Amino acid sequence: MCEAILKVDQVVKRFGEVVALDHCSLEIEKGSITGLIGPNGAGKTTLFNLITGILQPDEGHIFFKGEEISRKKPYEIARMGIGRTYQIIRIFPKMTLLENLLVVGREKGKAGVEKAYELLHRVKLYEKKDDDASDLSFGQQKLLSLAQVLMLDSELILLDEPAAGINPTLQNELMELIHQLNEEGKTFVIVEHDMKVILNHCQKAIALNYGQKIAEGSCSVILKDETLLEHYFGR
Amino acid sequence: MGILSKKFLLLIGLVLLMAVLISIPFFATDYWMTLLVLILIYTVYASGWNLFSGLTGYTNFGLAWFIGVSGYVSSILIADYQWPWIFAWPMGALFISIVSIGVGYILLRIKGVYFAISMVALTEGTRELFGTGYLEPITHGGKGLPFVAGIPLSTLYWSILFLAFVTIFICYKITSSKFGLRLMAIREDEQAAETLGINTTKAKILAFTLSSFLVGLGGAIHCTYQNYIDPNYAFNIQLTLTPIVMTLFGGIGTVFGPVLGATLFTFIHEILWAELTLLYMAIFGGILMALILFFPQGLLGWMKERGILPKIRKI
Amino acid sequence: MTNFLETLIRGLMLGSLYALVGMGLTLVWGVVGIVNIAHGEFVMLGAYFAFWTFSLLHLNPLVSLVLSVPIFFLIGSILHKRMTERLTHAPELSALILTFGMSILIWNLAQFFWTNTYRSVSYLTGNFLFLGLTLAKSKTISFFLALGMTIALFTFLKYSKIGKGIRATSQNSEVALVCGIDTKKMRTLTFGIGIGLAGAAGVIVSLQWVIFPQMGGSYVSKAFAIVVLGGLGNVQGALIGGLIIGVLESLVTQYMSAKMAQILPSLIILIILLLKPTGLFKR
Repeated sequence: MCEAILKVDQVVKRFGEVVALDHCSLEIEKGSITGLIGPNGAGKTTLFNLITGILQPDEGHIFFKGEEISRKKPYEIARMGIGRTYQIIRIFPKMTLLENLLVVGREKGKAGVEKAYELLHRVKLYEKKDDDASDLSFGQQKLLSLAQVLMLDSELILLDEPAAGINPTLQNELMELIHQLNEEGKTFVIVEHDMKVILNHCQKAIALNYGQKIAEGSCSVILKDETLLEHYFGR
Repeated sequence: MGILSKKFLLLIGLVLLMAVLISIPFFATDYWMTLLVLILIYTVYASGWNLFSGLTGYTNFGLAWFIGVSGYVSSILIADYQWPWIFAWPMGALFISIVSIGVGYILLRIKGVYFAISMVALTEGTRELFGTGYLEPITHGGKGLPFVAGIPLSTLYWSILFLAFVTIFICYKITSSKFGLRLMAIREDEQAAETLGINTTKAKILAFTLSSFLVGLGGAIHCTYQNYIDPNYAFNIQLTLTPIVMTLFGGIGTVFGPVLGATLFTFIHEILWAELTLLYMAIFGGILMALILFFPQGLLGWMKERGILPKIRKI
Repeated sequence: MTNFLETLIRGLMLGSLYALVGMGLTLVWGVVGIVNIAHGEFVMLGAYFAFWTFSLLHLNPLVSLVLSVPIFFLIGSILHKRMTERLTHAPELSALILTFGMSILIWNLAQFFWTNTYRSVSYLTGNFLFLGLTLAKSKTISFFLALGMTIALFTFLKYSKIGKGIRATSQNSEVALVCGIDTKKMRTLTFGIGIGLAGAAGVIVSLQWVIFPQMGGSYVSKAFAIVVLGGLGNVQGALIGGLIIGVLESLVTQYMSAKMAQILPSLIILIILLLKPTGLFKR
């Protein structure tokens, strides 16, 4: 097995009486595209929130490149190299596309602008660089959101339902971009309900339920797992 | 005519405007001078409020707190300790900005309406505190300081003019800088900004403190100009509200909106106050409501939407 | 000891009124999402309503109380339809400034038309003597009126269909909408009910205190302290919060100074927001 870029170790998170994550442990391999699956309420988004520092775990540890990050602030974690997108897109609507990227970048002056232009070309939004982000379509906003993460030079990118709600053309474009970036060395974790996306694009999948990892393996194997299917479609 | 010459013309215009403004005490009457002093004071207040609230979206209902505390510190230094005004004013502003770092660190964790309410509570609490017997040896209690310093009107005018220039210049620089973008990102979505590597706490406190310094300096000059200070006067809610209305009127989140708002609104105030003294406040409230309902983007925002002005952050 | 007990009871009686104001504010805040800074001004208008109906029409304040609820409910609903509804999706700041403007407009108009003269409704005078305690008649009656209004509100929210709809909207507006609840209508009704409560509170206030145009400010600052104490949108929390603030105010006035009692709401707001911004009570 390759070296793990992210290690979640026995993490517990409670919301009052509800246990969202129950001694959850998992590892993400460097350079992989991993699918994170599980029914609603399984703890996927909570896990993302814990990794990015929006929430703090009640117990357990999270390591990124060997360094403990579970007590760090969100911006510190982001600067260490973890980027994420949200299920409900969260760009900065009343700022232009260019500003949306510049505000994130750590480069000063010209270098930042050039990098932003390059990324806008890459997500095919360069022509709209001076429009407000709120003028973009839903799918384009997802691309912009990914470009923001790239502006940060994140090594590990967490995507929360990247393919949901956008048209197939744009979806293909997005997934192709993810593969390109993966080849350039970036690691992805993707939460997705559309099993086709997981099957076609992820090398590996991890299934969560009741706040725990219940299965892990290659996508085709995991989708044949009967207990998992029961969890998914059981009731 | 290229872009360069357009810039050149703009520069000449600005220099001319400055020359006129600086030379005004040599020919204007006292009435116009006082009006101009008020416009400039409110320009500083409105721009200072806009610098923090307009960019970050955190509604600061505690402008009077900046003004009152700094006004008190500087007035006491001048009247009771015979400090020269040129040192007392910055001292008042420095005092409020140091207090603001602490207050900002604590209160800026509170979001939205709660932050607004806590700033009102802070202002009201401080006003009561300054009027109590506990602080009477320092603040002179409820009766305040009847006399601060007799400074010539022209000196006051040049001081506040200088401060207004500095304030506008700072706002101009910040709005078109990366720091300004960070503040706007906080307004748009603070949590997303944080997960994108922006230290939002630091940015907020910095903007809050800078705002308190500029507004505090304005407040110190204001109190010397009025030559009077007491708790109800220095912490008056009107001092918080008027600059907010001016900013909304001119265009929130823009550089020159607060300047335009302060200028126009001071004239409106002058007319309303003279003609309809008793109904003045009621009309003021009505204007506030109408602005929010029908004209939320303000004059400059409206002009930008209509294409009368270019849609850039520097205006 | 009698003195302490009397102070305590006075505090509870005061608190029941504050709670009435606070419950209206928190209900509107929680369901409509609007912080009505002008809430206190409606208390003032309610008090003037009682005063004018009493002095011009010689109406018994208890009748005015019954009348005030539908009248202020109507005013509130119309205001919401005409104004605040437009701001449902605007930034929080907008509604805050709008209602701030409304507050200034209302009390200054009141000052313009009715002048700054202190007025009062001299309807109940004298004291009750009860188990060795001396209790002002006006305050005792006010307490029971406020209590009655509170019980009516709770019953309404708990058992009526509209009340259930309002609670559902407050808890999760999107889910409520999916479940077939007309959330837009619920917001309008809630705004009306909030203003109705404020007006009724004003009528009750008029029985025991002087009436003047700026009186709303002190009620709204206490109501804010109550909402912060009880937690946003939490009506039960507001009731308890109101009683706590009433008792504290009564104790501080008795044993420290009236000036300190005035700082109390600001102090409570700051302390609670720093320690536990979500309020003290579970919803």
